[in-house]
Amino acid sequence: MPEQRIVLRNCGVIDPKDISTYLSQGGFKALEKALGELAPEQVIEEIKKSGLLGRGGAGFPTGLKWQFASEASGEEKYVICNADEGEVGTFKDRYILERDPFSLIEAMAIAGYAIGANKGYIYLRAEYHHLLGLLEGAIVQCEGKGFLAKQGNFKFDIEIREGAGAYVCGEETALMDSIEGKRGEARYKPPFPPSQGLWQKPTIINNVETLMNIPPIILKGSDWFNRIGTERSKGTKVFSVSGDVRAPGTYELVMGSSLKELVEDLALAEKVKMVQVGGASGRVIPYHLIDTPLAFEGVLGAGAIIVFNESRDVIDIVRRTMEFFAEESCGKCTPCREGTQVMLEILTRFCHGQGLKQDIENLESLANVMMLTSLCGLGQAAPNSVVDTLAHYRSAYESRVQG
Amino acid sequence: MNDAPRGIEVMHKGEGSLLTLLKEAQRRHGYLPEEVVSELAESLDIPVGEVYGVASFYSLLSTKPLGKNVIRICKCVPCYLKNSQAILETVEGELGIKPGETTKDGKCSLQLTNCIGACDRAPAMTINHKLYVDLTPRKVIKILKRL
Amino acid sequence: MLPLFGGDENLSVDMIPVTLNGTKVSAQPGMTILELARENGVDIPTLCYRPELTPIGACRICVVEVEGSRTLVASCHTPVAANMVIHTHSPKVLEARKVIVELLLASHPDVCLVCDKANTCELRKIAADLGVGLPRFRVKKRYHPLEDVSPYVVRDLDKCILCRRCLRACHEIKKADVFAIAYRGFDSKVVVDQDQPLNKSVCRDCDVCISLCPVGALTKREERFKEKKGPPLFIKA
Ligand SMILES: Cc1cc2nc3c(=O)[nH]c(=O)nc-3n(C[C@H](O)[C@H](O)[C@H](O)COP(=O)(O)O)c2cc1C
Ligand code: SF4
Ligand code: SF4
Ligand code: FES
Ligand code: FES
Repeated sequence: MPEQRIVLRNCGVIDPKDISTYLSQGGFKALEKALGELAPEQVIEEIKKSGLLGRGGAGFPTGLKWQFASEASGEEKYVICNADEGEVGTFKDRYILERDPFSLIEAMAIAGYAIGANKGYIYLRAEYHHLLGLLEGAIVQCEGKGFLAKQGNFKFDIEIREGAGAYVCGEETALMDSIEGKRGEARYKPPFPPSQGLWQKPTIINNVETLMNIPPIILKGSDWFNRIGTERSKGTKVFSVSGDVRAPGTYELVMGSSLKELVEDLALAEKVKMVQVGGASGRVIPYHLIDTPLAFEGVLGAGAIIVFNESRDVIDIVRRTMEFFAEESCGKCTPCREGTQVMLEILTRFCHGQGLKQDIENLESLANVMMLTSLCGLGQAAPNSVVDTLAHYRSAYESRVQG
Repeated sequence: MNDAPRGIEVMHKGEGSLLTLLKEAQRRHGYLPEEVVSELAESLDIPVGEVYGVASFYSLLSTKPLGKNVIRICKCVPCYLKNSQAILETVEGELGIKPGETTKDGKCSLQLTNCIGACDRAPAMTINHKLYVDLTPRKVIKILKRL
Repeated sequence: MLPLFGGDENLSVDMIPVTLNGTKVSAQPGMTILELARENGVDIPTLCYRPELTPIGACRICVVEVEGSRTLVASCHTPVAANMVIHTHSPKVLEARKVIVELLLASHPDVCLVCDKANTCELRKIAADLGVGLPRFRVKKRYHPLEDVSPYVVRDLDKCILCRRCLRACHEIKKADVFAIAYRGFDSKVVVDQDQPLNKSVCRDCDVCISLCPVGALTKREERFKEKKGPPLFIKA
């Protein structure tokens, strides 16, 4: 069976409003172990050896990120949990937060201990305001039990900051500007957040799901984690499945499972035409490639799986995807600010059957330049669906060129 | 350095950032009237333009008056696949307004939103901060009646 | 003493060896790729960058190719690193710069012939250098009413390329903060206060924004409609 619960271990098992149910599942044992038995460097070494890669989309090695931040000089350091989850078709972080907020808090505390930070922020998208009370309640309970209070040199304080409606604020540097109270525009890199992040201080930022893997790795050891998954992709991945399926929802699969298994066997899709893996910024996989493994070696992104059946119009979907980027571009850099708008207008023409002869070529050269020159990942990934559908469904475009 | 970090001194570790304060002000006034933006700028000693820049960046902040209930219907692809169009048309028909408009009595504003993370239960919408999922035109009419 | 001749060892201890367009050169730590290129007589076009202002990396016209990098990198804010292999004018780079100029021109009003900036416009100069004539792309034009209520500065924001030089100059040099950036995406705009026409008492005749605007978006009232000096530029049809 490809399904295995590591990240979702407590979901549906514990009561997210009651810390005692978490403690009876071994809650806070990992933090206890880290504080009692491991030096901060050893915690980082464990995470590095586990092979854990970031689950927010980019797949950066988590241990390495932590190491950079721990080595960066500075008294004040920060841990940020990225709960902005704005990618179209993603809701797995919401699912986790709703059901197991305690593990996240424990993981952030472990991260704080590892890099020498005593302050953490959870950046929660404004659209998840309905989770605020639950999260605050969980933090209060953890504090009440003394888990975040001073133990030796360690002390940890967690604050929740809410967004205000901007997908780009999921991008790590835009998110930091947003916490600082500013417009959520991406900053250029380097400097990278582990050396200069929030308020220019060394900062690690991790996705909700990435952090959820930390307590089990500390408890069971990196060898255990390292044995699960594929060569380059260790552990499991949580997927958000939506669209033309009979069983939409959240699924946790061992890395390397096939897209087909997830979409057809678990989510019960029929007559699949294509799947967008990774949401709006993800890759479009046509049905004949449905055996592609879900792993960093294959396709993955942040795990949004949007399924389209044979009745769907490819260009209509791509146009809607581009509309999303044009609306969400922060507007700082030329290729993304202007390029998404140009693409949207071209795709709108195609939708009306009024494509121009030059349009296909223009889409291609524009896509290439946006990917190569945009300041942040939003502009770099915005043309993905255009590129993939031009590769796999070119005739859909060609048939709508006028004259 | 990246784009001049202004006003940071004021906000650093302060009770709330400019963004937090703007959200708070919007909660109080329903939107961000011109005087409120000016006052906020003055009290924080941040240029007015800067405050307006933040206020106009985020889609949930508004510098224009909004109705008492702000209805946001998701228009992203997963909801679209589950016929969010019908939900939009129902709301438009019931309220007699288009996206971006507010009813004459000031009771409801209608907006479109990008994905709100409820695609497993599409189509979805929010009214103020409350999330509504698995919508059907009939369900929507009932929800609107209760407002 | 360091040896005067020899291979790479003759670089002084804190110099960084870099390959720039096939030539081995040495850079000081902390220097950007752009600074290195200029020091070595290599011309990279820039729009949002100005040496007297902090870089923001907005326009992306200054991109270069660094071997091993997935994307091109903006030279104006990327520091050199040891053993970087940089190409400032490879075909990939030139194509990218062309597309960026074409994007800026696509939404730009077609009024170059009667524009006050005339042949001192940096956008047109870069377009001419790159051999860009009419842009490949079509996109809606921005429309902002001409602002000429200020006795000093006339703002024609249809022409604005959002380089934010005026904003940074006003903040960093004049410390006046007259401008700010508002809205987002394609609708982004350099605003005064809550998007009111520029007519501020603080904004006298310091000119710093006007002199730094690369295009004809900001002009001095008394200099409008006067002949401009500068080398002739060729506009390809
Ligand atoms: C436009 C954009 C939006 C993003 N949105 C999110 C998000 O909502 N949640 C997230 O965890 N990462 C998001 N990311 C990725 C983050 O920048 C960052 O890589 C991630 O939070 C790092 O955490 P990880 O290493 O644990 O994956 C986004 C990136 C981009 C470019
Ligand atoms: S790529 Fe888009 S979102 Fe990112 S900095 Fe540029 S304009 Fe902003
Ligand atoms: S007005 Fe001129 S200087 Fe200011 S952002 Fe626009 S183009 Fe740049
Ligand atoms: S697409 Fe509507 S909630 Fe995600
Ligand atoms: S000059 Fe480097 S990004 Fe504008």
